[in-house]
Amino acid sequence: MAHRRWTTAALAAVLALAAAAAGAGPREQAKRIHDRLAGVPPTEAVLADMEADVAGGNAIAAAYTAMADPAFYNVTLKNFVAPWTNRAQSVFVPLNDYIATVIGMIRDDVAFNTLLSADLLYVGAPGLALPAYSASNNDHYEQMEARGVDLMTGLQATTQSSLIGLPPGATAGIMTTRAAAEAFFIAGTNRAMFRFTLLNHLCNDLEQVMDTSLPPDRIRQDVSRSPGGDSRLFLNNCIGCHSGMDPMAQAFAYYNFEETTGRIEYTPGEVQEKYFHNDANFPFGYRTPDDHWDNYWRHGQNRFLGWDPGLPGSGAGAKSLGEELAASDAFASCQVKKVFRAVCLRSPEDAADRAQVATMTASLKNGYRMKQTFAEAAVYCMGQ
Amino acid sequence: MNAAIDRLKGRTARRVLLVAAAAVAAGCGGGAGTTENPGTGVTPPSGYDGPPPATDDVQSFKLNLWDNVEASNRCGGCHTDGVGQLPLFARHDDINLAYEAANTLVDLTQPSASTLVAKLASGHNCWLSDAQACADIMTTWIEAWAGAQATGGRQIVLKAPVEKDPGTSRNYANASAANFAALVHGPILAEYCSGCHSSQSATSQQPYFADPDIAVAFGAAQAKMDLDSPADSRFVLKLAAESHNCWDNDCATAAAEMQAAIQAFADTVPLTSIDPALVNSKALTLLEGTIASGGNRYEGAQIALWEFKTGQGTTAFDTSGVDPAIDLALSGDIEWFGGWGITINDGKAQGTTTASRKLYDLIRATGEYSIEAWVIPANVTQEMARIVSYSAGQDARNFTLQQTLYDYDFRHRSTTTDLDGNPALSTPSADEVLQATLQHVVATYSPVDGRKIYVNGALVSEADPVATGSLVDWQDTFALALGNEVDGQGLWQGTLRLVAIHNRALTPEQIAQNFNVGVGEKFYLLFGISDVIGVPSAYILFEVAQFDSYSYVFTNPHFLTLDATQQPEGIPLKGLRIGVNGAEAGVGQAYANLDVTLSASAFGELGQPLSPLGAVIPLEKGPEGDEFFLTFDRLGHETYVRTEAPPLTVTPADLPQAPRFGVRTFDEINATMAALTGVDPEQPDVDATFQNLRQSLPAVEAPNAFLSSHQVAVAQLAIEYCNALVEDPGLSASYFPGFDFSAPPATAYAGSNRDLVIQPLLDGMMGIDIQTQPLYPDLRDELGYAVPDGTRPDNLVDRLVAGGNADTRGIAKGVCAAVLGSAVTVFQ
Repeated sequence: MAHRRWTTAALAAVLALAAAAAGAGPREQAKRIHDRLAGVPPTEAVLADMEADVAGGNAIAAAYTAMADPAFYNVTLKNFVAPWTNRAQSVFVPLNDYIATVIGMIRDDVAFNTLLSADLLYVGAPGLALPAYSASNNDHYEQMEARGVDLMTGLQATTQSSLIGLPPGATAGIMTTRAAAEAFFIAGTNRAMFRFTLLNHLCNDLEQVMDTSLPPDRIRQDVSRSPGGDSRLFLNNCIGCHSGMDPMAQAFAYYNFEETTGRIEYTPGEVQEKYFHNDANFPFGYRTPDDHWDNYWRHGQNRFLGWDPGLPGSGAGAKSLGEELAASDAFASCQVKKVFRAVCLRSPEDAADRAQVATMTASLKNGYRMKQTFAEAAVYCMGQ
Repeated sequence: MNAAIDRLKGRTARRVLLVAAAAVAAGCGGGAGTTENPGTGVTPPSGYDGPPPATDDVQSFKLNLWDNVEASNRCGGCHTDGVGQLPLFARHDDINLAYEAANTLVDLTQPSASTLVAKLASGHNCWLSDAQACADIMTTWIEAWAGAQATGGRQIVLKAPVEKDPGTSRNYANASAANFAALVHGPILAEYCSGCHSSQSATSQQPYFADPDIAVAFGAAQAKMDLDSPADSRFVLKLAAESHNCWDNDCATAAAEMQAAIQAFADTVPLTSIDPALVNSKALTLLEGTIASGGNRYEGAQIALWEFKTGQGTTAFDTSGVDPAIDLALSGDIEWFGGWGITINDGKAQGTTTASRKLYDLIRATGEYSIEAWVIPANVTQEMARIVSYSAGQDARNFTLQQTLYDYDFRHRSTTTDLDGNPALSTPSADEVLQATLQHVVATYSPVDGRKIYVNGALVSEADPVATGSLVDWQDTFALALGNEVDGQGLWQGTLRLVAIHNRALTPEQIAQNFNVGVGEKFYLLFGISDVIGVPSAYILFEVAQFDSYSYVFTNPHFLTLDATQQPEGIPLKGLRIGVNGAEAGVGQAYANLDVTLSASAFGELGQPLSPLGAVIPLEKGPEGDEFFLTFDRLGHETYVRTEAPPLTVTPADLPQAPRFGVRTFDEINATMAALTGVDPEQPDVDATFQNLRQSLPAVEAPNAFLSSHQVAVAQLAIEYCNALVEDPGLSASYFPGFDFSAPPATAYAGSNRDLVIQPLLDGMMGIDIQTQPLYPDLRDELGYAVPDGTRPDNLVDRLVAGGNADTRGIAKGVCAAVLGSAVTVFQ
């Protein structure tokens, strides 16, 4: 009985809120900035400080004040990144090295275009009495989460090459974290790593970059050219994605996630066996000899992704592929769109929003500081 | 590896003969109708009693060819000494003379090119209803003879094709289905042909070019119309030459109407002319190439063979040459597959029990056998789906090869299995061996090794679950069926491109040999490039086959010269593309990045190999109509500068305006409640409750995704936080300064005392003077503030106190949770 009364009161408050959603002054704008960035309401003192900044025409400073709240790292950023780290895109996953590394990069203003190529890893600071980082399990991060370690202060930077056992040249930012390997290098054909990187960091799924006109000469032997006896499926669909994906996913030819040991495996000079699964499906397909990759999307319609003319568009291994992807316009605008959605709680929807995204993208490219992007989004959506 | 190449590398490898010769008219297409050989009523002689064969080769001729043709209902009805029809290759008086006559009619190096085969293929007194089936059977007999020759072998004879430039033509890529519907389908096909050639007909007969679905009809009709020469369309020839169901009993008029309709439609299709700027080779069609298929399969113990070459009708002929032939009756929804094969959508292909007894007899004689098939499973979801079954129904079989999801199962009756062939031998499920693509599968049984399953030339099965037994329990009354159980209750959907039964367990080498040969008809196509590079008789050689009903596959490109005196060196070639009917194919150009230097010094057996890749190119008019050529970005000194397609222009559409507010999500709600109450979220009760509720709280911010169940979870968590707040003496004292939690409710909440609870909650949780929050007086009055502007009867505190509630802290928790669990904190 009592519960029902409380619920009634709560619903009444919802209605009251809807009625009261009127114009917003600096105080309301400051509160919204704080709510959206930190996920929690500000204290009276912080709100007053932010209100003064907003009223003084320096809303960006107010946003930075909000981002000084630990909840920005412990709540907002953690849940911002978590869906990128698993195939189901679930936010309900334990803290892991992928999430921690992104949070650390944003906290320390590490240039975000090194996300897919850096030899960088964020681990718990010494003194937290955590189990040591292990390349073969996630205990370090799960303990960090279970104990409520503040990620704003409790993370410190180190290198993957010192902890995961990869040569520095084989590290590729978050793609070679243990969590990403477990999610996307496990079994399969390693195409998942490419597809989910494209999805999470260039904001395009394969359907959106289908181009059937590109040469299919790098499509591996495992792709049936006549699925179920109907080559139209291949010629109208499969080829459109595989022609561009396979020559880039070749960069991962030496990587695997070894389930029995629970750790990433790197076999320089030796192409993983998974690249030859089902090689009799089309014996005249491409047989992977090494980890040389080529970006076929630098030609044809997918030039719209905005590739960096200063890069060669080809290379060997995951690191240079990560540099290629992260240098694209699509990568920068994707980060901006994701931040926009996280802060404004909606997608860009009209010309004004798109112009704002373009402005923020240009701003991000000047130093790739993600906190600045969060601040700009929060100010844009702080209400009027 | 490629079949033909392997063949070259085998016994014939060093005998490649490259012959520059004028093309020989192929004589394909059109042709006389098939005439079934009339029964003569003559009883075949019981045996041969003339002079003995003079040599081993004569003996081989007798065993492999003569014994099969001497009967009076075959060639022996005329070409014998008794009747006197020359040549007398079936004569009974002297096998040596018959051998002499036959030698002029066969090509032992290329049996399929023999005169005897050509005669049958042209319709000359075939003893079956399909001339091609007779020709194939004759080929197997001649191959068997040739294979027995100690000096036997094969040569690949490449003939220079007639030089022609890519012509202009009308292509379906530029045709409109609406014009087809208006000019051909509506007035002719739907009017006169829909009684059979429609999926809606009670007597439906493929192809469905008269189907009411225009897309289906157009697809089916394309191969039957010749847009460049309407008079040569199959539609016209069927009426004019074959009198196939002419309307109004007037074939000439019907054919003329059909031709006029096709002409009218063709006139709507613009001509495609090759871009003069292209650097291109000469052109040729598939059938103008040299046949590269046939032979070199291991067929030494083959007792039944279906290659599905007929392409029409309802019979799939057993062309093994081993009598009796198990010709299969096709029933149900079965289509002929382009490039040889049948696609089973529903129905089955079944032989008679009488003919099927051949399997019983010949397999029981050896005690071992192999089932070999080239299959394309339609999916990986079907179970207990019979691919090849020699059985009587659901419970009784001699053998069955079937599909269960990603596995092939081999069921086989013996003294160690039951009458239904169980337990089956299956491929390991985890390996997902079976794929919905073209696969070569062989199931073997021998009393020594038991059952084995090979896929694509490799052994994939593990040990047979039972010991080997004998075939003593086999039944001779069962029937062979493909694509289904004989009772129709085990449908397998997919395509069969070849099925063979052998009465020996094939060895791994023999299986690999047959896998490497491949399936279907392949051609060597020589694309002339002499005029581009200035080297006489220079060609790019491709091996080309119809891949399925919708495409061709180009493989094994080589550079060669047919004139051995021509030894060109150092000719650059970049960017090779395949053209079809006057234009480059828009998709599948696997050689577009080719970058090689043509050099005679790299010549191997077939010339200089250019790439290990294969290209799948869409079929347009069909193998008889499609004309291919090659283009080059650079060849020798000539170049073609390609303009690149523009980048995609993405024009974003405006989205409907979304709400500018949202709800907090799970972690945000937890952190917010912790911040607003001052309670540590790691406090054990709070943390346990949150972990329980975590996935019941909102996961997305969208307000329209907020459910009542979310609100219940929010309320539960709010109660837990308020409980922790009120029960903690230090926290509660600092949060509610001055409030006496030890007093009974009537005292503690009397008058303005209650404000000591309500005011801190409103200030702390809602914030002060924030216009986007609920109106302060509304919430204050709802909770029961003592000095309201207007008294709100029945407010929360009054109701909680009035019930005789003795729990002062409990009432405080309730008031706290009403605020903390409301939109005041949940909305952002």
